[in-house]
Amino acid sequence: MSGPYEGTERKVSSLGELPRSIEPGRDLWPNIEAHLKGIQAAAPTTTGANAIPPRLRRARLSWLAAAAMVASVAVGVWIGRNLLPGVGPGAPGTVATTATAPPGFAAATDATVLDAAYVNDPRYQRQRAALLRSLPARLAALPPPARAKVLASLAAIRKAKQDLESALGKDPSNALLQELLVDTYQDEMRVLTDVREASEPGRGI
Amino acid sequence: MAHAQAQDTRVEWEAALVQRACAGDTRAFERLYREHSGCVYGLCLRMTRDVQLAEDCTQDTFINAWRALPRFETRSSLGTWLHRIAVNVSLAKRRRTSPVEPLPEPTEEGIAEAWTLETPVEVRDIEEAIGELPEGARDALVLHALYGYSHGEAAQMLGIAEGTCKAQLHRARKLLRERLGTEVN
Repeated sequence: MSGPYEGTERKVSSLGELPRSIEPGRDLWPNIEAHLKGIQAAAPTTTGANAIPPRLRRARLSWLAAAAMVASVAVGVWIGRNLLPGVGPGAPGTVATTATAPPGFAAATDATVLDAAYVNDPRYQRQRAALLRSLPARLAALPPPARAKVLASLAAIRKAKQDLESALGKDPSNALLQELLVDTYQDEMRVLTDVREASEPGRGI
Repeated sequence: MAHAQAQDTRVEWEAALVQRACAGDTRAFERLYREHSGCVYGLCLRMTRDVQLAEDCTQDTFINAWRALPRFETRSSLGTWLHRIAVNVSLAKRRRTSPVEPLPEPTEEGIAEAWTLETPVEVRDIEEAIGELPEGARDALVLHALYGYSHGEAAQMLGIAEGTCKAQLHRARKLLRERLGTEVN
C-alpha cells in the first residue's frame, strides 16, 4: 500500500501531517470526459445537467453559427490590433494577461489575449448594445415559456459576470478569471443573437 | 488576512466554474476535477486500499458530481460535497466486494482530537498501519483524523450514529498504538 504515497520515508508526529491529496497514477480525466459526453449525447435535452425546453434545442445550431462568427471576428480583431501601431494586447483598454493562474490551473494562453481583444473591440460593443436595446421588444414576441427561459439564462449570465468581476477586483491579474469573463460575455452574445433570430418572422425558439 | 482574501477569491472562481459546468461546459468541470482529484483520490484510496478500485471510485465520484451539480449549493464547500460523494461511492463499491463487518458498541467516552504520535513515525509505516485497520475503524479515522471532519460530520457521511463513530475511533486508536508501537494521543 505504500506505493502511491509520496515521501514515504518522511517521519511525522501527527496523523494530521499525512498528505490529504494523492495524485492518481494515471490521468483519469479522459475516461471521465468520455462518460460526460456520453451523458450529454444520451440526453440531448440537457447541457451539463440542466434541462432546456425542447423549443430552445433548435436554437443550438444558430448558437454554433454565432460562436463561429465570434471566433472569426475575434481573429480579425486580433490581427487588426496587432498590426496597427500602438494598439496591441498591452494597449490601454485590453485585459492584462501576464498573471499567474491559481494553483493547479493552466497558465494564460494566447487565446486569452485574443478573447480579451474581442471583448474590448468597438464593433462587439456596438453590436451588443444594439442587441440589448432591441431585447425587450424581441422578448415580447417570444412565447412566455421561451421568454422565461431566456430571462433566466441572462440572469445567470449576469450573476456569473458579477461574480467574476468581483473576483477580478480582488485578483485583477488572474488569467483564468479573465478567460472565464470573456467566455461569459460570449455566452451572453450567443443568447442575444439567438433571441434576435428566434423573434424574426417565420422563426422560433 | 492575505490567506482569507485568497480563500475568498478561490471560492468565487470555483463558484464561477460550477456555474459554467452546470451550463454544460466540460472544460470548466475539468478545471474543478484538476483542483480536487488528488484529495478525492486520496480519500478513495484510503477507504478502498486498492489502486484500481480507488481510480474507479474517483471517476464515479466526478461523474456523479456532474449529474448532481445543479443541486450543489455554491455557498457550501465543493471539496466537502465531493468528499461526501466519494465516501458514498467507496462504501457502495466496497459492499459489493467485501462482507459487512459488525459495528462496535456505541460509546460516549471522550475522544482526544490531536492524534499525535509520541515518537515520530515514517509516513509509509503509518499508511500501512491505517490500511490494516478494520474497514469501519479506518473509515472513521481517515475522515476524522486525516480529513478533519468532526465526529458528527464523519458519522453522517458514513451513515452511522455519532456514538458508533466515536467507538470506531477508539478502536482505531487502540489498534494503531499496538501496530506502531508508540502512544497515539
